Amino acid sequence: MIETKELWGRCLKEIEQNVTKANFSTWFKNTAIIKEDEGSIYIGVPNEFVKEWLQNKFHKLIVKTLVEQVPSIRSVEYSITKLSDKKEIQESRPLITEHKTELPLRDLYINKDDNLNPKYTFDNFIVGPFNQLPYAASQAIIERPASIYNPFFVYGNTGLGKTHLIQSVGNALKKNFPDKKVFYVTLEKFAIDYTDSLAMKNTNTSFKEKYRKYDVLIIDDIQFIDKMEKTQDELFHLFNVFYENNKQIIFSSDKHPNHIKGLEERLKSRFAQGMIVDVTEPDYESRVAILKGKAAQQITKVSQEVVMYLAGLIQGNIRELEGALNIIVCQTEIKGRQLTEEEVRLLVKNSIKPKKSVSIEEVTRKIAEHFHLDESSIYEKTRRKEIVEARQMIMYILREDFNISYPLIGQKLGGKDHTTVMHSCDKIKRELKDNMVLNQDVEKIRTMFK
Amino acid sequence: MKIECSIEKIREAISSADRITGKNLTLPILGAILFIAEGKTIKIRATNLSLGIEIEVPAKIEQEGTVAVKSDVISTVFGSIQNGTVSFQLEGDMLRITTKQNTISVKTLPYDDFPTIPVVSGDSFSIPGKKLIEGIRAVAYSAAVSDIKPEISSVYIYPDQNNLVFVATDSFRLAEKKIALKKVPEFGGILIPFKNVAEIMRIIGEYTDDVAICFSKNQLSILYESVYITSRLIDGIFPDYKQIIPKEFTTNVTVLKSDIVQALKLSHIFSDKFNHITLSVDPVKKYCAVYSKNVDVGENNTILDTAISGLPVEVSLNHRYMIDCFQSIHADSLTLSFTLPNKPVVLQGVSDQTFMYLIMPMNR
Repeated sequence: MIETKELWGRCLKEIEQNVTKANFSTWFKNTAIIKEDEGSIYIGVPNEFVKEWLQNKFHKLIVKTLVEQVPSIRSVEYSITKLSDKKEIQESRPLITEHKTELPLRDLYINKDDNLNPKYTFDNFIVGPFNQLPYAASQAIIERPASIYNPFFVYGNTGLGKTHLIQSVGNALKKNFPDKKVFYVTLEKFAIDYTDSLAMKNTNTSFKEKYRKYDVLIIDDIQFIDKMEKTQDELFHLFNVFYENNKQIIFSSDKHPNHIKGLEERLKSRFAQGMIVDVTEPDYESRVAILKGKAAQQITKVSQEVVMYLAGLIQGNIRELEGALNIIVCQTEIKGRQLTEEEVRLLVKNSIKPKKSVSIEEVTRKIAEHFHLDESSIYEKTRRKEIVEARQMIMYILREDFNISYPLIGQKLGGKDHTTVMHSCDKIKRELKDNMVLNQDVEKIRTMFK
Repeated sequence: MKIECSIEKIREAISSADRITGKNLTLPILGAILFIAEGKTIKIRATNLSLGIEIEVPAKIEQEGTVAVKSDVISTVFGSIQNGTVSFQLEGDMLRITTKQNTISVKTLPYDDFPTIPVVSGDSFSIPGKKLIEGIRAVAYSAAVSDIKPEISSVYIYPDQNNLVFVATDSFRLAEKKIALKKVPEFGGILIPFKNVAEIMRIIGEYTDDVAICFSKNQLSILYESVYITSRLIDGIFPDYKQIIPKEFTTNVTVLKSDIVQALKLSHIFSDKFNHITLSVDPVKKYCAVYSKNVDVGENNTILDTAISGLPVEVSLNHRYMIDCFQSIHADSLTLSFTLPNKPVVLQGVSDQTFMYLIMPMNR
């Protein structure tokens, strides 16, 4: 069997020398040998014009060049194919070409009436210890909306599935109670609606009407409300209307309401009267389950080993997990085979945050060293200024850079209460804003752990 | 080569050929027109490798021969000389063109590299030229201009019972024209690139007699009198557009064509850069209005005199898409049919069921 691609490449080099450059690029570009069958060569050309011309004008030259390479060739035929490079891509991704035949005129994905994205459902929501509580609460809400947990406030870091959770609640409510009007909105959209209604001058009644007609309101990314005083007012009133009329309200945020700066006390207290739950980072088993779920939606199969490897490597953000999986799926499709472990490692190298595993003890020791203190003095019950400063710095670094829980930090640093740790972290954060020396210190310490 | 012929006849042939010569291609010979003097005719040939044309013009041939001349030169020459007879004579590499008033010498190009024009064999049928053009013209403006998706930057032609159906869409609007024929051929549907369609329309023009159409999987030819046109076809699948045509309508509005054209012209002045207009229909108040607003210009609301049936509805549309279709509606009044605000609007002439036009609403 002759390697046809290589053969044609050699022939083209030969032909290029025998014809003018203009002729070569007009007639021989986008040609390829598509088949070789018992001494007959089939050359694929882009259209009828090229076919005619190759047959009439260059046939002898082509045959001569081919025979020089492979003496056993007896005949050369031409046939029209789609551009060869495009064809390769289409072959390797059959599902995409199927989509091509689909209607281009349809553009619905997000339901305009309720803003919910139908792809978010509980069917593809993976429950693990990290999100068990919010999941259980949301199930209770779906059963009996506005009766137990109202408002329902979910918070957690970015990429942990908050939006998925609250949209799923919306979709499930829609299914269970078809007559209830559910509406999903991001805070940004909510604020824009509000400012628009002010600009419309009709004293924002249409805005009030618009939102008050819903039975379930879901507001995403509420933390951005911090600087919008008027929007807070409006939200406050809207909240009261909903609460009094026994309508369910759901919020998501990346912070606990108490940590949203600039949030008015009356809103904070109202958020607190319902259910506030946090979504933490998924543990290893959950990560494996999530990856398996995502991989099952892909056409290309991803091996068990790769899933385990990724789950072990990428911690925290689910979006990053998905991103890494996508890279691997894409590469597998392009290469047309399973990737080796080495290739996988290289591919995901850039998509993960470099995180050295450093123990709490080591962090403590290094920072103590930085402040020229004895490590043991950190653990002592003393309020000497230099030691307190170092201790606060340790707490801050452990919390910010290593994501260790407040209670654990407190426990490790000589049995401190978790509120003490929170206070320390806040204090450093506050000081960082205008203390240049402290800023430099933090930078220096951070470089030690990279 | 030495020949003599009538300027009127050859002028038309040259200007048709000039339009489809290949410009800015890597092969300079494609920018030339080839003249072949043979037997009793002179053949004029041009191609851009997507579309090819060959026109025969009767001539008195004293000496047979072939010559290629730069198309822009020769077409300008024939645009500027008076009617009468002309004689061509090849002298070395110069072509001498002589008329009663002029003596012109034009440099020729080596014609060895001039491509042949494919001869198509395959299914064939014939159709009056006028009907073919009518069908194409009714829909061609709806085709997508960019060729990212070749299957929709083309006009789709397929047989359906007693009709030949012409369809084009750019995914924002769709036009469908049915042309009734006495004898409808059977074939699977062909996609002609929309750029070629425009040239075919120009070339065939007002020709009323039958033209013979012949096509294979990748190529199409049109033959009539002394003209032979051949075009590349697109190998693809046209979207199954029937799916998106609403089966039932909730609101029907009938309006005089001249009224709505007037209203759209007015709203054009005030529409924003997305050509956005709003059509609101209220059957209770018997009210149908076109509204547009541009913050930099102003706003306008035009109430139309209409007959309304069904439910109230309000739809946002691109008025450009709407204006386009009136050239193809040959009736005094037309019907606008609505379903939901986010579903397509269908336009049809009241007495003319052969043409259907569909516009997707704009997102608000």
